[in-house]
Amino acid sequence: MKQENIRNFSIIAHIDHGKSTLADRILELTGNVSKHEMKDQLLDSMDLERERGITIKLNAVSLKYKYHNEDYLLHLIDTPGHVDFSYEVSRSLAACEGAVLVVDAAQGIEAQTLANLYLALNNDLTIIPVINKIDLPNADVPKVTQELCNVLGFQEEDIILCSGKTGQGVDKLLEAIIQRINPPKITNNSPTKALIFDSYFDAYRGVIAHVRLVDGELKVHDKIKMMATGFECEIVELGINTPKEVKKDKLISGEVGWLSGSIKDISKVSVGDTITTVKNPAQEMLPGYEPMKPMVYSGLFPIEPNKFVHLKEALEKLKLNDASLSFEPETSDALGFGFRCGFLGLLHMEIIMSRIEREFGIDIIATSPSVIYEVLLTNGNKIMIDSPNKMPDRATINKISEPYIRTNIFVPSEYIGAIMELCQDKRGIYENMEYINETRVNIHYKLPLSEIVYDFFDKLKSSTKGYASFDYEYVGYEPSDLVKMDILLNGEAVDALSTIVHKDFAYNRGKTIVENLKELIPRQMFQVPIQACIGSKVIARETISAMRKNVLAKCYGGDITRKRKLLEKQKEGKKRMKMVGSVEIPQEAFLAVLKSEK
Amino acid sequence: MKSAYVHIPFCRHICTYCDFCKMNYEKEWVNNYLDTLEEEIIEKYNSEELETLYIGGGTPSCLDEQDLEKLFKIIQRFNLKDDCEFTFECNLNDINEMLLTILKENKVNRLSIGIESFDKDNQKFMEREHSFEDAQEIIKLARNLGFNNISVDLMYALPNETLSTVKKDLAKILKLNVDHISTYSLILEENTKASINEIQPLSEDVDAKMYEYLTKKLKSEGYNHYEISNFARPGYESKHNLTYWNNEYYYGFGLGAHGYIHGVRYENTRSLNNYLEGKYVLEENILSKQEIMENEVMLGLRKTEGLNLSEFFQKFELNLQDVFPIKPLLKSKDLLYADGYIYINPEKLYVMNEILLKLLA
Repeated sequence: MKQENIRNFSIIAHIDHGKSTLADRILELTGNVSKHEMKDQLLDSMDLERERGITIKLNAVSLKYKYHNEDYLLHLIDTPGHVDFSYEVSRSLAACEGAVLVVDAAQGIEAQTLANLYLALNNDLTIIPVINKIDLPNADVPKVTQELCNVLGFQEEDIILCSGKTGQGVDKLLEAIIQRINPPKITNNSPTKALIFDSYFDAYRGVIAHVRLVDGELKVHDKIKMMATGFECEIVELGINTPKEVKKDKLISGEVGWLSGSIKDISKVSVGDTITTVKNPAQEMLPGYEPMKPMVYSGLFPIEPNKFVHLKEALEKLKLNDASLSFEPETSDALGFGFRCGFLGLLHMEIIMSRIEREFGIDIIATSPSVIYEVLLTNGNKIMIDSPNKMPDRATINKISEPYIRTNIFVPSEYIGAIMELCQDKRGIYENMEYINETRVNIHYKLPLSEIVYDFFDKLKSSTKGYASFDYEYVGYEPSDLVKMDILLNGEAVDALSTIVHKDFAYNRGKTIVENLKELIPRQMFQVPIQACIGSKVIARETISAMRKNVLAKCYGGDITRKRKLLEKQKEGKKRMKMVGSVEIPQEAFLAVLKSEK
Repeated sequence: MKSAYVHIPFCRHICTYCDFCKMNYEKEWVNNYLDTLEEEIIEKYNSEELETLYIGGGTPSCLDEQDLEKLFKIIQRFNLKDDCEFTFECNLNDINEMLLTILKENKVNRLSIGIESFDKDNQKFMEREHSFEDAQEIIKLARNLGFNNISVDLMYALPNETLSTVKKDLAKILKLNVDHISTYSLILEENTKASINEIQPLSEDVDAKMYEYLTKKLKSEGYNHYEISNFARPGYESKHNLTYWNNEYYYGFGLGAHGYIHGVRYENTRSLNNYLEGKYVLEENILSKQEIMENEVMLGLRKTEGLNLSEFFQKFELNLQDVFPIKPLLKSKDLLYADGYIYINPEKLYVMNEILLKLLA
């Protein structure tokens, strides 16, 4: 294989624009996966990814393709589509020379199309614009072509039309990848530099690092060094994915592959680090990544207190290939020992929670997500607060500021009114609006991030019948009139249910939270008052009546088994509950503070 | 061993809410079934003297004269103590002089009659039909024929039922002047017609109010509330059912029957085919001492008198309070103590499972 016949590329797209299906078709057309091995979303290996139809983790495959009698090696690096994971996108893009920008022929460009395109342009990549799903009956190719040309500045003749579903045009796309994307620079003789763009822990082989060879080469048995951590080891195995794992003797500059070295300590291999050889070390590291800063914080607590150590191990393993996840120990009166975790956004948080429950089998409770507040104290000191419970006494606070974001809301123009009403309700400040075409607009508002974390997504979806797409960027801190609201159960404040709210919203939120809690907390042996308070002032109150019945009235003809089974079942149910003071609270109750409606 | 239960799974009509092992009456099946029943009894029964015998169903009273003759011939294999409590379950509409005479001749001395409700809407839901007058007449007939231990079932918390219906039902039941009354709140079991039709249960508040009314009224009428759902005139407590609640051994014969013999709990198959082929037992569990003690608590606390501490010690050579966390529950008044007995606070009997969960956690 000639090294100039290597192409490294990513596919970027808005969620649901058909990226994974298109990747499936490319795999099939290049003959790397036979028809009978084919399953949908082949690159999305996590069950969670297939179930939800989204890509969370990036994934790399090497494909052989014959074009004009020449053998080509195409490295496809799959990327997630959601805004929370743009960090993952930037990692894959740094390992590529080109990107395929996929736009749905019926939907047109959406919020994340834009966000991902900007990321690719920042990495100086060659962009191949693709209109996908042209087989759809409601496809409007001329309109979407117009959008790509007018809004994103592409030339009409550069746009490739294809269908990931039928395979139409996919050969044209492969041709464009070969013709338009530059081969990687060939520097076999330079000192080795390989960028670690992903890594994961394998129970048998230790840490597996995904690398892009930028300079030089790597061979089995080479002694290597991680330039940032200084960690050294010997390569035990290396290879590529086709998507099956294939072992090789060496990787050369321009190639994308994986390597392992019996590395047991996951912290030694950090994503963004540069690998070089001990024998002929490179002098300078490759530019790494700026890890994204978590924007949303939440406390994660094991339901069973003895699972604390397991939870710690789970978080450590997840962090191995998710540098954006941060955590530190936290103690709650209500929930015991757990971790304050930082996430890129709500979806990221939801994904991490599901993975902890599924992959590690630990039942967890999450407390209401919080943003980071900037608190100016009367003594002039400034502190950052990532949890309502760290909020200092009101008397010592001069001013509280909160993070704001700027929105890209792509929406059909008939929903402009609905969007404006929603954003106004969420303390939004209107900035401006751009027309994408005659019928669609991109609306820019400045909004407090805390409102997005609260229920913005749900409201956005329902008020636009799902037609809106949404993305945002951070714009900095602004002062707000915020207060801490506590929730009391049976007269005792439950620290895990405290929230920080805008003063004008406190009454309504408090009312909603206590109403939700009333629904979610099962009856106890005694009556339980629920109160929402600011300081010592009660602003909302509900009462859960005492339980009246939990008995198996009849003991069937000596059938004791049935009764025992019922008790066992109820016992299992109790395990999902947390005893707070004298009250048993189900997991869901801790998220009640999140829901705006019953 | 002093007790035996015999199951007759046949019914002329399947009730909407019934989750027992049952099937439609079919003459040929009944014949084969009784033959197999006899074989099972021969195989398992060790000729001990029985103090209680209970024939339940299904609907034992749906058997015809011929079937009954056959059944009681089998029953003669049992060695019944002179004062053996021998109960036969009857559907009110099946009872007539012929049936009662046969029962009497065969030493049945206790009738358990499923009346359930006199209310028209309730009867419609249950797909049952009978009048108060029918019941009065039948009970009178039974008394005349010498049955002096009669129990009836009352069901409450049926869909859309109100407290006033329960009051009316109970008033009529009381007029029947029977010796024992069982009151059962409707349980919507899976795979019954009622649950398939997505019948909604009454709210627990209404259900609890009905229970409260029933217990209060029955006590004031001289019935002893001796178990969660059971009331008896003094001396008429069901000896057979007390065997279960006292965690004592009993045989279970017939389709789907349960038994408990020498530390082993077993459950018979619910498949007629398997049963007829002689594969009686579906599952057998040898209980550990811990499990036996847990059952002792779970069952014993159903009785309003509760668990006798010295009896517990004699049985297990352990103190109840050393095995189960009794103390905090005494402190919270979930459990009470009097005269050597630990029992559930009567006010909390209807939330007994919550207390058991704390005890058996």
